[in-house]
Amino acid sequence: MLIEDLGGNILGTIPLGDIVLYLNPLHLFLFVTILLFTALISISRTETQVEAMFGSLDENKVAVGLKEFKQRRFLAIICGIATAGAMITGDLFNFTLFMALIGIVNIGIVSAVKQVDVLNSAYQYGLIAMMCGLPLFGGAAIILAATGTLSLFELASIPANPMMIFGALVMLVGVAGESGIAPFFASKAEMFRTPGSPFILIIHLSSLFIIVRFVEILLTIL
Amino acid sequence: MVASVIPQFVPAFYSSMYTTALYGGLIVAFIGLIGIAMEKRDIQILILTDLVGLAMLIVVAAVGTDLSEALILPGLVVELAEIMAISEILISREMRKVDEGTSFTPMPLKIDMEIMTTAPNFIALILIAYGVFLSGFTGGAVAGGGIVIYVLSRKVRGLPIFVLDGVGAISGISWCLWIIGFIFFFLLPQYWLLSLFLAALGLLLKVASKIGLIGILMREEYGRK
Repeated sequence: MLIEDLGGNILGTIPLGDIVLYLNPLHLFLFVTILLFTALISISRTETQVEAMFGSLDENKVAVGLKEFKQRRFLAIICGIATAGAMITGDLFNFTLFMALIGIVNIGIVSAVKQVDVLNSAYQYGLIAMMCGLPLFGGAAIILAATGTLSLFELASIPANPMMIFGALVMLVGVAGESGIAPFFASKAEMFRTPGSPFILIIHLSSLFIIVRFVEILLTIL
Repeated sequence: MVASVIPQFVPAFYSSMYTTALYGGLIVAFIGLIGIAMEKRDIQILILTDLVGLAMLIVVAAVGTDLSEALILPGLVVELAEIMAISEILISREMRKVDEGTSFTPMPLKIDMEIMTTAPNFIALILIAYGVFLSGFTGGAVAGGGIVIYVLSRKVRGLPIFVLDGVGAISGISWCLWIIGFIFFFLLPQYWLLSLFLAALGLLLKVASKIGLIGILMREEYGRK
């Protein structure tokens, strides 16, 4: 499919040697939205979870310590920037690298929590993310082998052949695993059962944006 | 590989290797996944997951162009970063379970080897000297191994261990040396020997101090409450 059909008119290209960045309204919208959310996160404070205690009227407050708070905020900002990079990039392999970075940072955001079960699910999610590194990078490599280029701008003009479709489907499996969507969600859902709301939310938001962008990439190159 | 993108001068033998290498990578990954499905211990699963990561490198390397060569390094770095992040999670989860006291270079098993008590200082010295002689990335790894052996042997013999807090700073500054050497290489090509040595020494210091850092990071991880 042509790029113009999906994201609106191309506003311009930024040629950086092999990598040609191109700007269109959809990418710019996604890019600016995720940057705004990252800016909001960087100035916000964490929530304090209040749990009702069983059998009495007391309540149990689960707060986040200052050191943990700083670490999480830093990683959440990195996650936002990586997502923004994946929104604007014009290179297939850069997209996979941003995706992998988001996966690592997602593990990092929950790495300092005290609950053992949250750590356990983060460990499971990490294993899935690592195994899905194979289809993610492998799919990009198969597309490279089929077409000889990784630039989305050029891939859009190359007609799809069976090997390219196979590579794109393999890559879809990889993105699904790394961002922890539908078949792999069980490992990721338990990660959110910990205080520190705005920073935890970026885990959700980044995978949402990544999926939107990846569907757009799939439609563009196939 | 699709025949139309392969240049004419590539021998048919090499271009026919792509499918073989791709299947090889997938078979390695499949063996790793079978292992993960059968294994019950967490640490073994983590190690087997790395096997799947290596299969990813095989699949990327199978393309065999200079572009794929440029993709292997980021792939390897991502793989290493992921395995370090997951092992960090594993360590902190086990710490929460047992809630042990802080220890420098915590060891899951007792190291009771003769090499740790007979002449560890000499071996460490030889390794560091050989690492400096090699220079560059390999030399850094060898010299860092020497530092780790020195620290481990002191721990085994029950001697006090010095902790240098500035090790991280050394690593960062030597990284700058490497970058300066690299820029010199492009801007002033006539001083190539100087820039080569800047880069080699920077990388030596960086890798050596990074390996030395591993022990300190582990101690901090155990000290975190």
